[in-house]
Amino acid sequence: MNAIELTGLTKYYGKERGIESVSLTVAEGEVFGFIGPNGAGKSTTIRTLLGLLKPSLGSAKILGIDTFSNGVEARKLVGYLPSEVNFYSEMTSRELLMYHAEVYEVDDAERKIEELGDYFELALDRPIDDLSYGNKKKCAIIQAVLHEPNVLILDEPTGGLDPLMQNRFFDLLERLNSEGATVFFSSHILSEVQRMCDRAAIIREGSITAVEDISQLLAKQMKRVRLILEKDQPLSLPEGAQNHHGSGLKHTFDFVGPTADLVQWLSEQPLADVVLNEPDLENIFMNYYKR
Amino acid sequence: MIHGVIFKKELKRNRKNWLIWTSIVLGFTLMVLSIYPSFSQMGDQMAQLMSSLPEEYARAFGMDAATWQSITGFYGTYYGIYITLLMGIFTASTAATIIGKEERDGTAEFLLTRPVSRSTIVWTKVAVLITLFVMIYAVQAVVAVLGMNLFGDTVDWDTMLNMHIHGFFLVLLFTAVGMLLSSFLSVKLNFMGPIVGIIFGSFFLDAISKATEAVDWLGYFSPYHYLNLAADQGVLELNPWGCVAFTVAAALMIFISHMRYMKKDIAG
Repeated sequence: MNAIELTGLTKYYGKERGIESVSLTVAEGEVFGFIGPNGAGKSTTIRTLLGLLKPSLGSAKILGIDTFSNGVEARKLVGYLPSEVNFYSEMTSRELLMYHAEVYEVDDAERKIEELGDYFELALDRPIDDLSYGNKKKCAIIQAVLHEPNVLILDEPTGGLDPLMQNRFFDLLERLNSEGATVFFSSHILSEVQRMCDRAAIIREGSITAVEDISQLLAKQMKRVRLILEKDQPLSLPEGAQNHHGSGLKHTFDFVGPTADLVQWLSEQPLADVVLNEPDLENIFMNYYKR
Repeated sequence: MIHGVIFKKELKRNRKNWLIWTSIVLGFTLMVLSIYPSFSQMGDQMAQLMSSLPEEYARAFGMDAATWQSITGFYGTYYGIYITLLMGIFTASTAATIIGKEERDGTAEFLLTRPVSRSTIVWTKVAVLITLFVMIYAVQAVVAVLGMNLFGDTVDWDTMLNMHIHGFFLVLLFTAVGMLLSSFLSVKLNFMGPIVGIIFGSFFLDAISKATEAVDWLGYFSPYHYLNLAADQGVLELNPWGCVAFTVAAALMIFISHMRYMKKDIAG
């Protein structure tokens, strides 16, 4: 059975496009990336899947349960981490998490909250209003996983987390995934998706443009190469290079192709320094669609 | 239909606001009743003062010679002008924000992604609202009865009962109006202004229609026209059909709000 199944999911806000005919399937136990630039329709897809937005067309299922006709049952199986964290400001983290646990009827909730609070170093008894954005995000992560959901839906999950907490979060996700949880990981940060996911769907302007294995995606991924040569000599660019700028010792170009080919080419150059950057996602997409 | 955990949380969330408004209403009730003995001691002077008031003014505010001759009539004048207005503003403003506030503060996303249907959430909020309303109404009524016994001479309990029954259904209607407003207007709007405007407007529309015969038709647009709160010559008849009509109207408005919320997109 598929953990998530979207078929022709469409959402219009009046005449304005939200998402159009989004179809994809996520297998049980998979870590699935959902990537696209800001405004591409990632959050709209998730919010429609969860019933916050009413779909214009199409269907959505979570573990075979229709999320529109039987949303309550479907949501019992889901842990959701929103991109923007808004909780009841008058509550403390502990009160909010206990409230969440009561709604989901979580056994032994107090102990689990204490453990997860310790793991993420969250001050559970401080009012949510007094917490930094990063700490609110930790609270949001805990509420997403506290009831041990079968499917985790994460929308831009690492925003606000420092690198140490990001690593703990990824470790937790890997553990939950190894125990059988499916993870739907929406992000505009490609490196996060690369690290966590087996497959990914790319959404652009409200439509799915590709569903790829991460390895295939990487093969098509563009890198920005900045290099300084030790000596001024004519540069013969590798196959897959484009947008070349510079002359003499300093050169910049975008490279599309297998990373191994680039490394091989670089090893043959008289390099004083080299920097490889992940270009912004928009450039990757521009390049991706050109091919 | 009603979710116990959410009901408890919502009640707790609204308790401070309830306490503030209830204190105001109770303070006002006790103040009105406690000053009655001073007025009653003035005897004929008050009757003369009443007769010197312009007839239109007295009609507009439901005052007549009998008004100041008993604690029931005295209390009734203030019950209509102030106490139902205060309770109506509290319940209608709470009704207008009890659902919309979740959306405005962004907590709707948290609430609606729990395994609870939207319908259950709306009915739970309605149950909280009715509980808050019944609690402020009941506490005010009990304090009014105690105050009557404490400061009054003879109390016309029939008039007192009918006045409070009418007050209940008027406030119920305003509560439903608050909920209906919130389902049609932007959640970012401050509802207090429109609500105070509607409630005061209704009251003054009725007052003007009673004061000036030429525009007595204006009264038909005010709920106060149908359920009187002030006794006429010391008598206040119960209008049971008015109570039924107000209940049906309130139920209809709550139902429409529910239907609109069921179809609503929750903004991110």
